[in-house]
Amino acid sequence: MLRVVCAIGWADFVLKYRGSVLGYLWSFIAPLMKFLVILFVFQPLVGPAIPQYPLYLFLGLIVWEHFASTTYGCITMLIDKAPIIQKVVFPRVLLIFAVGWTNAIIFLTHVLIFLLFGFLLGVPPSSSLLYFLILLPQMTLLALGVGMALSAYFLKYQDIRHLWEIALQVLFWLTPVAYQYVVQGTVIHELANLFRESLSLSLWGFFQIFVRFQPLSILIHDARRTFLYAQTEGIPSPHHVLGTSAVCALIFLLGFLIFRKRSPYFVEEY
Amino acid sequence: MPSILSCTEISKTFRRATLPSVLLQDHLLRWRLHRKQQHVQALQNVSLSLRTGEWLGLYGPNGGGKTTLLRILAGLMRPDAGSVYRGGTLSCFFDLGVGFHPERTAEENIRFHNLLHGISGRESSRRMREILDFAGLGMFEQWPFKCYSTGMKLRLAFAAIAHIDADIYLLDEVMAVGDREFQDRCKDYLQSMKRRGKAVILVSHSLPSLEEICDRVLFLERGRIEREESVVPISHAVSALG
Repeated sequence: MLRVVCAIGWADFVLKYRGSVLGYLWSFIAPLMKFLVILFVFQPLVGPAIPQYPLYLFLGLIVWEHFASTTYGCITMLIDKAPIIQKVVFPRVLLIFAVGWTNAIIFLTHVLIFLLFGFLLGVPPSSSLLYFLILLPQMTLLALGVGMALSAYFLKYQDIRHLWEIALQVLFWLTPVAYQYVVQGTVIHELANLFRESLSLSLWGFFQIFVRFQPLSILIHDARRTFLYAQTEGIPSPHHVLGTSAVCALIFLLGFLIFRKRSPYFVEEY
Repeated sequence: MPSILSCTEISKTFRRATLPSVLLQDHLLRWRLHRKQQHVQALQNVSLSLRTGEWLGLYGPNGGGKTTLLRILAGLMRPDAGSVYRGGTLSCFFDLGVGFHPERTAEENIRFHNLLHGISGRESSRRMREILDFAGLGMFEQWPFKCYSTGMKLRLAFAAIAHIDADIYLLDEVMAVGDREFQDRCKDYLQSMKRRGKAVILVSHSLPSLEEICDRVLFLERGRIEREESVVPISHAVSALG
């Protein structure tokens, strides 16, 4: 099964760029343009308060792009691989894992660019890079969990793809990619404080809580403090890593169960 | 002789909305309009049994339930009631060239096709030359699939499925494509499969084609097996005369 996942994932990665003159560079143009535009707009606003802001933004963007393209890839996989799903007998979840593998490869190429970028801006690679071995599985579990839950219902409700495009735009601004992520203590400590205080459940308050505690915000923050601010903010504690991994694994498990329950009906729903 | 593939009392009903919509917004905002469903009985208590080396034809009009039955036998679809027994390795070919990509070369497409059908990379490499020779692509082997003519695409796709080894084959109209030469080649291939003792369920709209090669033909109409005919395949009769 692992062989099938790796082969399909790698083939999709290679085929994505085959036949185009710019090849891999073509896929990097969109995030690069996004990076330049956000940098141009936000640098004067938040840049002075955030050390190494270009790297802060770049790292946030590549983690975000991984989440967005993996979840969207899980949905469109059902169209791209329709002939296989309709005519070959094998576990459909392998195709989801292949999407995860393809996007993991793309993410790793983005990390290489981040390292080069960091080197040029005076942040040389260090042993903290090993944290990617924890971060990438966490990111993949989270994105595949959400992606599986969405793709499980995509054939039944095909506007899920458009709704998710809108949701991604909203979610992008509710994730601290371009602006500062305000941390007042550990996640558990802050959550406990929230419950102790009487919450004002206004929309504004909801946004603040969402931005602070949604898993993607935490993953991006963990990546930044490991790779950029290890000396000032410290690396994530083992408890924090375990807790975050457990949340990502739970989201993955939920998505997997929903997908497994729905996948036998895919052939009927085409 | 024991069955290598059988199904017992298979039933399948498709529930379709009277006013179908694949939009979530319709189901949320106009749910009254879309909640009404109609039931289409695709299969009703269908039972069949296939013995080792036997060739079974499925014949019937469009919407008779042939493809649904084949999909259930293959494991692509779940029946509402009944059970399926599979006593050997199974390969189903509902289309030629499943998984082929226009940007891949012949060899890459064969490898990917084999991978989907559970053939190891080593086995693929071992058979590659034989498959490519069978397809007869000549100098075009290293070209992307998109550069091939329709005939070349069919030959490559057919070569791919012809070299997949299994005990049971489910074939859905896959041989009803291509020109006369291609169809003759398909018939030769089917005869060679029969000589090798493979068990096959073959779906076709052409009764003469089924009678030419099958040992039995089931007539499937409105989701039921209306009748069954044992036939002496023309191929057997010709060889007996010879």
